Amino acid sequence: MLGWLRRHSGIVPYLFLVPGGLWLIVFFVVPLITTVSVALQEGTLATGFRLTFNFEIFPEAIDRWSTQLVRSLQYGLTVTVLAMLIGYPMAYTIAFRGGRYKNILLLLVIMPFFTSFIIRTISWKFILADQGFLLGTLKDIGILDQGFRLLATPVAVISGITYNFLPFVVLPLYVALERIDPRLIEAATDLYASRLQAFLRVTLPLSISGVFAASLLSFIPAVGDYLNAELLGSRNETMIGNVIQRLFLVNRDYPEAAALSLVLMAGILVSIFLYIRLLRGQELTV
Amino acid sequence: MNDSKRAADPRRSAFLAVGISAVLILSACGIEPGDSPTASSNASAGASPGGGEPVGGGEPSGVLNFTNWPLYIDQDDDGSSPTITEFEDETGIDVTYSEAIQDNTSFFGTIQPQLQAGQDTGHDIIVMTDWMIGNMIELGYLEPINVERDVPNFVEHAADKYQDRSYDPGNQYSVPWQSGITGIGYNPELVDEEITSLDQLFDPEFIQKYCGQIGMFSEMRDSMSLALLYNGVTPAEATIEDVEAAQEVLLEQAECVRGYYGNEYADDFANGSLAITMAWSGDVFQLQLDNPDLQFVVPDEGGILWTDNMAIPKGAEHPNDALAMMNYVYQPEVAAQVAEWVNYITAVPGAQEIVRQHVEEAEAEGDTETADYLTAVAESPLVFPTDDMLSRLYSYKVLSEDEERQWAELFQEVVQG
Repeated sequence: MLGWLRRHSGIVPYLFLVPGGLWLIVFFVVPLITTVSVALQEGTLATGFRLTFNFEIFPEAIDRWSTQLVRSLQYGLTVTVLAMLIGYPMAYTIAFRGGRYKNILLLLVIMPFFTSFIIRTISWKFILADQGFLLGTLKDIGILDQGFRLLATPVAVISGITYNFLPFVVLPLYVALERIDPRLIEAATDLYASRLQAFLRVTLPLSISGVFAASLLSFIPAVGDYLNAELLGSRNETMIGNVIQRLFLVNRDYPEAAALSLVLMAGILVSIFLYIRLLRGQELTV
Repeated sequence: MNDSKRAADPRRSAFLAVGISAVLILSACGIEPGDSPTASSNASAGASPGGGEPVGGGEPSGVLNFTNWPLYIDQDDDGSSPTITEFEDETGIDVTYSEAIQDNTSFFGTIQPQLQAGQDTGHDIIVMTDWMIGNMIELGYLEPINVERDVPNFVEHAADKYQDRSYDPGNQYSVPWQSGITGIGYNPELVDEEITSLDQLFDPEFIQKYCGQIGMFSEMRDSMSLALLYNGVTPAEATIEDVEAAQEVLLEQAECVRGYYGNEYADDFANGSLAITMAWSGDVFQLQLDNPDLQFVVPDEGGILWTDNMAIPKGAEHPNDALAMMNYVYQPEVAAQVAEWVNYITAVPGAQEIVRQHVEEAEAEGDTETADYLTAVAESPLVFPTDDMLSRLYSYKVLSEDEERQWAELFQEVVQG
């Protein structure tokens, strides 16, 4: 075996790809093909589904759920921008000003992950409840109107998603910022750049790969998220994930659910493609 | 063009392989193609599925797999059920009790492939809501039973209205486990008037006062049925035009609805986010133990009485043991023991007297806490409804596949905009 490998050493790199490749085939390619197949079937659960190549389903699904599709992309974009505005200064501070507390600060960023995503979101429900300790108190001392509420508003849903995905933004940004040699910034100031100029012309361009990774890691799951809209929103904040979930599990309309999933994937891919075009010329990988 | 070189390019052949397998998989992975004679012929024949001879009439085998919903049987401190333990001691049947049913449709989805293939599902008793029992009977997925021969306690002790149920005429396939009422719950702290009518849940002008504090259910049958009743339509007789009109009612109401809830409505009702909400009787009973102000009413126009039923899936291995269990729980003592714990409506009216006896026993022992709790159970109209309440209750409609799809599509527009 070893001798054979030595004689055909060219094949070794491909062997290393086998586990990852199998993983992708079993958990990505096969499900994707199944989804395409289901989308093109017609029938009901009790009598079975048959493949009829019903391509009409795609325009129908887009037409019927366009509001929720557009809303999901809007929420995803808002969340990404918000998370970046909050996460970049956090990552910057930890990377450049963290000193010996760096590891503790990073631990604090990851800390929320020690509890489940669902529990964390449900906790927000309690914190933001109309008569809960936050709003209830503010209402009692007269700062807020009695009818004021945060739950079941876009503010609650967008904040919930931002909160949940913030660590995914901070960590890649931190990694990118941490690798920047501080002497480059010193050199910039030595050459009479102001601190703002040094940031805009040295630090920011050098961290752009982190910005890219961080925005993808927040945008993609945010667009497909349904838990925050389910727990913190109402029918007016319904996202496409909620629609797909209900179509699959409640209505058992598998074809339309599968078709919408594919539409969502396509929507995300197009958004990312536009984003890459926007950052054209930047060094995006590290 | 160099054909031999093209064939040798590993990337090209990989793409080719993926392409070919994609086509193969696409054509192979239909979901249980529907040419099974059982499913289609029975669904279209509808009324009288060819059930065959009732199961039972034999000796128990000593094993029983009983599958139920969570928190739906009495439990002592270590989590085991006294009812199950006592049944095991009395009959020598070894019971595996599992709480695997979270909702009707998704559980049905997990056993449907075996049922369609005519295999044992591994469950001897399942507990399903009335409309699902109706669907499963039509599909030929339940074993017929003979209650006169094998469940005599049901014939003797069950209330009259359970002796002939629209979704299972003649009790040929199922007996009730527990029932509950879908009605209106309200919080008098937030509502100035007494709530008695569906107008106060649906009338666009009335609900302006409580806009954003109204709760509805994401369960299509419950919400649709209340809207149908508001329009004066008996749910079981609703036509598709009636349902479209009901959708209009729900859409007009939607801007004031706080949320379309599952079980978690109870949290928002308890914490004061909801002033008026659809509610299930058993939940409100439990909430009242903490906050006695919360109210539950069966509206004047009517509410829904739903029933979860025990049934034996087709091909179950231990039908005699299943029938022994069904018979066992219809003893008033056992029914009382379960009712004291789950607080839903028992099918055995005689259980009320037993709970009252338990109150006296607890008082005699000086255990006032238990006595108070049991008094609440015995005297609550939510656990033992009054005749007046019962006279205003309706059942869900048993929907055909087509109807279910139409209803679901109409309702999804309500819930998700």
